[in-house]
Amino acid sequence: MIETNAYANLNKLSDSIKESHLKTLFESDPERFKDFHIRMDGLLFDFSKQKINSKILDELLNLATESKLDEWIGKLFSGEKINHTEGRAAWHTALRDVESPRPEVAEQWRKMEMIVNQVHNKQFRGYSGKAISDIVNIGVGGSDLGPLMITHALDKDKHPHAPEVHFVSTLDAQQLQKLFASLDPATTLFVVASKSFTTIDTLSLAETSREWLQEYAPSDSAVMRHFVGISTNPEKMSEWGILPEYQLLFWEWVGGRFSLWSTIGFSIALKLGMQGYNDMLKGAHAMDQHFKNTPFKENIPVMLGLVGVWNTNFLNLSAQAILPYDSRLKYFASYLEQLEMESNGKSTRRDGSKITYRTCPILWGEVGPNAQHAFYQLLHQGTERVMSDFILFSQGASQSERATFHQNLNVANCLAQSRAMMIGQASENLHKNYPGDQVSNTMLLDQLDAYHLGMLVALYEHKVFVQSVIWDINAFDQWGVELGKKLALEILEHIEGKSVENLDSSTAGILTNIWKQSNED
Amino acid sequence: MKINVFGTNISALVCAGCLAETGNEVVLVGNRENDRSEPGLVKLLDAQIDAGRLRISNVFDIETDYQIVSFNSGQCAEAKAVAIELAKGTKSSRCVIIRSNFTMGTVKEIEKLSKIDCVVNPDFASDGRAISGFMRPDRIIIGSRNADALQRFKRLFSPFNRNQNVMIEMSPESAELTKYATNAMLATRISLMNELALAAESLGADIEEVRQGIGSDKRIGSSYLYAGIGFGGTHFGEDLERIQQIINPSDAKEGLLQAVRRINEQQKEVLFRKVWKHFDCQLEGKIITLWGISYKPNSNSIEGAPGLELIKAFLNQGARIQIFDPMLDINFMIWMRENLSLEQQSNIQISSEMYDVTQNSDALCVVTEWQPFWAPDLDKLKELMNTPLILDGRNLYDKEWIKENGFTYYGIGR
Repeated sequence: MIETNAYANLNKLSDSIKESHLKTLFESDPERFKDFHIRMDGLLFDFSKQKINSKILDELLNLATESKLDEWIGKLFSGEKINHTEGRAAWHTALRDVESPRPEVAEQWRKMEMIVNQVHNKQFRGYSGKAISDIVNIGVGGSDLGPLMITHALDKDKHPHAPEVHFVSTLDAQQLQKLFASLDPATTLFVVASKSFTTIDTLSLAETSREWLQEYAPSDSAVMRHFVGISTNPEKMSEWGILPEYQLLFWEWVGGRFSLWSTIGFSIALKLGMQGYNDMLKGAHAMDQHFKNTPFKENIPVMLGLVGVWNTNFLNLSAQAILPYDSRLKYFASYLEQLEMESNGKSTRRDGSKITYRTCPILWGEVGPNAQHAFYQLLHQGTERVMSDFILFSQGASQSERATFHQNLNVANCLAQSRAMMIGQASENLHKNYPGDQVSNTMLLDQLDAYHLGMLVALYEHKVFVQSVIWDINAFDQWGVELGKKLALEILEHIEGKSVENLDSSTAGILTNIWKQSNED
Repeated sequence: MKINVFGTNISALVCAGCLAETGNEVVLVGNRENDRSEPGLVKLLDAQIDAGRLRISNVFDIETDYQIVSFNSGQCAEAKAVAIELAKGTKSSRCVIIRSNFTMGTVKEIEKLSKIDCVVNPDFASDGRAISGFMRPDRIIIGSRNADALQRFKRLFSPFNRNQNVMIEMSPESAELTKYATNAMLATRISLMNELALAAESLGADIEEVRQGIGSDKRIGSSYLYAGIGFGGTHFGEDLERIQQIINPSDAKEGLLQAVRRINEQQKEVLFRKVWKHFDCQLEGKIITLWGISYKPNSNSIEGAPGLELIKAFLNQGARIQIFDPMLDINFMIWMRENLSLEQQSNIQISSEMYDVTQNSDALCVVTEWQPFWAPDLDKLKELMNTPLILDGRNLYDKEWIKENGFTYYGIGR
């Protein structure tokens, strides 16, 4: 990035615009919206409340060109091994290519469909012969966040015969124990989702679940009627005891945080039915086609990514808020936390050299109307400069009078907040002074359903990819999470051996106190 | 007396036939397409037609004294259309007798549309025993508010009320609810017995012995206390649902009748569960024979029959099915086409002989208590079957006798 001509030009351009207030851009150009929004079928992207002008826009496009973004998009879609540190492709777009699916992908769709239909037809049987009524999805990271976010968001569209779907991810087993108290072991199916099928978080929870079932089921083979495995590693699944007909596969070229499009989306299919799952893939595929085939200037993921780079590297904003104005998107921000920060939260360039510029901002968020009563104070009057994404849907919950009233209220609040952040309001009483000048994007989608949600998620995936290309980052590895895993195993050995030898004094001190406490209990 | 009977179901045919037999001049406004489903019905109708007392026609005289509505429960619209026709008549001696099991309130509407006083006379006879149920009823419920209509009804039905007076008079609403409530009570007894069967199994008790014990209590009585594989047919489920609809707006949320239905749905699969557990959850390639599909003996009706749920459950686990039912009919073929994939259909083999059908099978499920199944030739079965395993869904057998002959035996609640 920093070697490009565009970078130098953008640096110059940033000096002057930093000084001008966002509201003056609107005052000097009443038609500003016209120039700074993009429409595609089902989605409007408004970035007029960003501190940019047409010169900056052109230079950002030059930055993309100089960074060879088009070549990288080609590599992404053709399944090249662009995750070079792990020697893998990042081919999530192939998982949702509903027009010409790869044979191995289509085969897994068929297998998924078979199991989903069995569950929906009440013909998937547990050890007692009763039909399965509850699903517990055991997975962490991408195996949890994606399916959790989608199934929560689309609860209203669930299949009429959908089982109850529960999610368990934390290795302290609190979530799991709570479920055991209310679920009937005879009718509970565990879905163990783990790319390698070795992740200790997931497998420890799966093992605890197996022990729970063993208390009730007449035999070990009967217990295994309650486990579906999802992994890239069939050998490990078999070793653990997952029956071959209950093994769903995906491939090493599917990254964890991009895996909801693969068989990891099994819980989604159970909840929505295969039709809903397919609609989600179709929405994402529509975004893929848009990303691949649209000139950068009209390309929503490209522009979303470039605007983010502009804010991060030229306006020095360091935080990104995600503000959906629909309570069904409760888990969307958590989902994006992983997608963006695990992908681009890095400081090493592709060639292994150290990065000398800022990369992924800290991202967080909350459903808008709730966040208004939480951290919007900081957005309006704090010292931090933050960029925000507002996400809004045209269609409300229903056509009824009350629903329309609530939807109007919701739209009004969303637009009021982005406007207040932009325009501010001066007052001599500094307690009531609103500086404004906080930038934001607004994504307006037709409605919240499987198709549009698929589209929205794919939009952010491609945004992340665009930024990784500009920042010269491999967005698809996550070496940063390894050290903690390794140390956890070492400390576990210390705990089991009740020894603090060679531990730092903080770790040792805390452990000693835990042991003291449990001796007293 | 002159009578029109509207309807084509068994209840209508039996009513028309029996009233003709007692000397009345009856027009059946409908057809005879269901006459084979009920024992003795063909003979009864033929005899009455030959004697000239029964005619089948689509044309009817609106001035006829007795207009008996006996449509199916779902045919409210047809009943109302007849009522509108009848309103064009003028004779004041007419009365409308409603034997259909319509939704609550339909009777009032028919009364209003026809402008004729109505009598509600629910049909309690069960299929398979419909003729004797009509000729020698336990009770004749008469719901009416009009004394003249009541008198006319009594006159018509007096031949069936000779031994002792079994007529009970009440309001039309009470008569309607009595019909629903009777079925709900019977269904509840069955589901209760099926729950108790679970208790018996885990205690090592025998529900058959328990049944005799509680049935001898006069307060309880002995009928409808059989544990089994759940009730089929349409009436029980329909009436449970109707009472539920009536209850729903009230505060009662405890859901006894919903539980009755849920228990019954579970019970329909109970034989599957026993086989499933017996083979440690592995039924791929197993051959399962079913004796009987109809939801009760002497009937070809398969509506809501537990056997259908068993077929689906076994096929979905990769088992093959062999079936013998003495009255298996085209309706079963239609059901297969509508509910099973071609591959699943190819895994069903239908036989016309009760022993041949058991060849190579790994389990024999006795689903319907047809009489030929009551005393099977166990030597023959053992020779034919691959695994000597009998699942007695109706508790027909002396379990010790079956075991002594080298079979594994599973009953319901024993």
